[in-house]
Amino acid sequence: MTDASLPNAGATPKSGSLHEIDARTKKRNAAEKRFRVYGVAAIATGIIFLIVLLFAILTNGLGAFHQTFISVPVYLDEAKLDKKGNRNIDDIKKVSTFGYNPLIQKAVLKAVEDAGIETPLTKSKNMKALVSASAAAQVRQAVIDNPALIGQTVEFRFLASSRVDGYLKGRVHREHLARDKNIDAEHLDIVDGLLPSGVVKKSFNPAFIFGADASESRAEQAGIGVSMIGSLFMMLVVLFLALPIGVAASIYLEEFAPKNRWTDLIEVNISNLAAVPSIVFGILGLAVFIQFMHLPQSAPLVGGLVLTLMTLPTIIISTRASLKAVPPSIRDAALGVGASKMQSVFHHVLPLAAPGILTGTIIGLAQALGETAPLLLIGMVGYIASNPPGGVVEGLMSPNSAMPAQIYEWAKRADPAYYERAWGGIIILLIFLISMNTLAVLLRRRFERRW
Amino acid sequence: MYDTEKLGTDVNQNDTKISARNVQVYYGDTHAIKDVNVDIGSKAVTAFIGPSGCGKSTFLRCINRMNDTIDVCRVEGDIKIDGEDIYDKRVDPVQLRAKVGMVFQKPNPFPKSIYDNIAYGPRIHGLAKNKAELDEIVEKSLRRGAIWNEVKDRLHAPGTGLSGGQQQRLCIARAVATEPEVLLMDEPCSALDPIATAQVEELIDELRDQFSVVIVTHSMQQAARVSQKTAFFHLGNLVEYGDTSQIFTNPKDERTESYITGRIG
Repeated sequence: MTDASLPNAGATPKSGSLHEIDARTKKRNAAEKRFRVYGVAAIATGIIFLIVLLFAILTNGLGAFHQTFISVPVYLDEAKLDKKGNRNIDDIKKVSTFGYNPLIQKAVLKAVEDAGIETPLTKSKNMKALVSASAAAQVRQAVIDNPALIGQTVEFRFLASSRVDGYLKGRVHREHLARDKNIDAEHLDIVDGLLPSGVVKKSFNPAFIFGADASESRAEQAGIGVSMIGSLFMMLVVLFLALPIGVAASIYLEEFAPKNRWTDLIEVNISNLAAVPSIVFGILGLAVFIQFMHLPQSAPLVGGLVLTLMTLPTIIISTRASLKAVPPSIRDAALGVGASKMQSVFHHVLPLAAPGILTGTIIGLAQALGETAPLLLIGMVGYIASNPPGGVVEGLMSPNSAMPAQIYEWAKRADPAYYERAWGGIIILLIFLISMNTLAVLLRRRFERRW
Repeated sequence: MYDTEKLGTDVNQNDTKISARNVQVYYGDTHAIKDVNVDIGSKAVTAFIGPSGCGKSTFLRCINRMNDTIDVCRVEGDIKIDGEDIYDKRVDPVQLRAKVGMVFQKPNPFPKSIYDNIAYGPRIHGLAKNKAELDEIVEKSLRRGAIWNEVKDRLHAPGTGLSGGQQQRLCIARAVATEPEVLLMDEPCSALDPIATAQVEELIDELRDQFSVVIVTHSMQQAARVSQKTAFFHLGNLVEYGDTSQIFTNPKDERTESYITGRIG
């Protein structure tokens, strides 16, 4: 056997044993341990805040997706709706929603009587407080769409008034009814009586997601759908303006522009613009697009233009970063085989930078989607009673709101029923933002190239 | 004003491909190349040797005007290829680079397929009329790059998936695909292992039949193995230029001798 060990091996080491940790090392290890604890604590705090936030949003907002409905058969009385009896659509249209209210109230009263509920409210007028004011318009529309319904008894599902809805959701309490002009304890007794038979029932309400905003007194009818379309049109404007302008500007600055004082100045200003408060862009939009260029107020086109200004710096900065990240050897390779500068950029650099550019653009769009402040100044915040637009031009030019502006508007209103809808709107907005960010991550994963 | 036609005929008689006269290169205030005069022969391998930072790569990059891409870089003096001044206002560097191909220190294939790596140059210069011609160019170039047998079955696999030595031969094949007359190589083997280096050196020797090859190298053995002429650069000066055998066996300048015997650098 060969003895390959050093002559000194096995002897006691001169200065301290490796098996004993000296004071200095102990101190260093303790410092490292402390730092790790701080880090874990910081992350834990963050996660706790996130959980609290999500919990608050979900508990407050999920209710908005469920709404109380009253299903009753309504007798569409020919004597009231079509006095001449000839089903002339023009005559039928002359009957306003006021003409329908008595029919609906009668139908609800009949349901109450059928359920055998003892109540001092024996007149059909008393039922007004139970049903949403939107019910009459709903029946009228059904009749206009199909005049043959007149004279028949048709089953309708009406939205319950927001007080009834609030009572079933625990928002309206009997103790506070003395101060409430809109509903009495007797009404709530009726609601309790109608629950078992399923006449009054809570169920999923798609109108909250797809519907239009409603006036202050009809909280039960309000939906976020139309403002979602407003947001969509704004995002289209941002995408079609900010992406090409931003990418072209970045490519020029990064690949072609000479490095001198002017480009330095531009660079500094782009970085500064990214930090400018968004309300400043709002007032700029008001002055330039509305007061100077006379574009229509409250139009998604103007909103999109303002958000484009706001998003451009974000897109330029992220695009330049991804162009910088493309290794210079690729540019050399392209130039080396005789490609022109532009060919090297468009054939080689840009495709490699594309995932980063896309990610930056999506993040910029998501940022613009959640922006409220600039919309305040161009009139996109407020009660904007619009129906879904009929076409692209109308979508861009007619007054509309945007999702965050709609949420702000709801949170501002007096009726507590709107509070729930504001939280519900936040859930929808967050779903959009999370899916956009997920898309950004997926795109980056999918197209990223490694060297 | 000079009469390039006339100068051209003069130079061609000496079988000179590239002739440099009083070349100065500045990076901002730094004087990187000082007064270099050199005549590089056609269909021969010329090696530039010298310690790091001596300017040999800078001078190489002057020959296909890659230095144009560096803002602060300024070139003075004349460099002529076949008697034509390449820094003349009428010269488009893009056209020049098709004539003077380049292979870089680090293999840098495009992150595309092997086929597209080779086909890119011929495509942008319009060298092939149709797909069949392009296929032919790709095969010919890969054969010249001595890599055809290794990749013929996977032409559509990504070029970045090859080994380092294969990547570098792919880059050489890419450079010859545009039918250049001069091939510049900037330390082409510095990132390769000895076996890959040997393959590339063998390839350089074969390329000599068709191209004027200029190679920058840190390895004096490599210069001795592959080149017919050697230029020794030191601190921005061209110290000595001559036949490789003479430079390595009987250097005239003291600095050259110190360098090749390992006393400096």
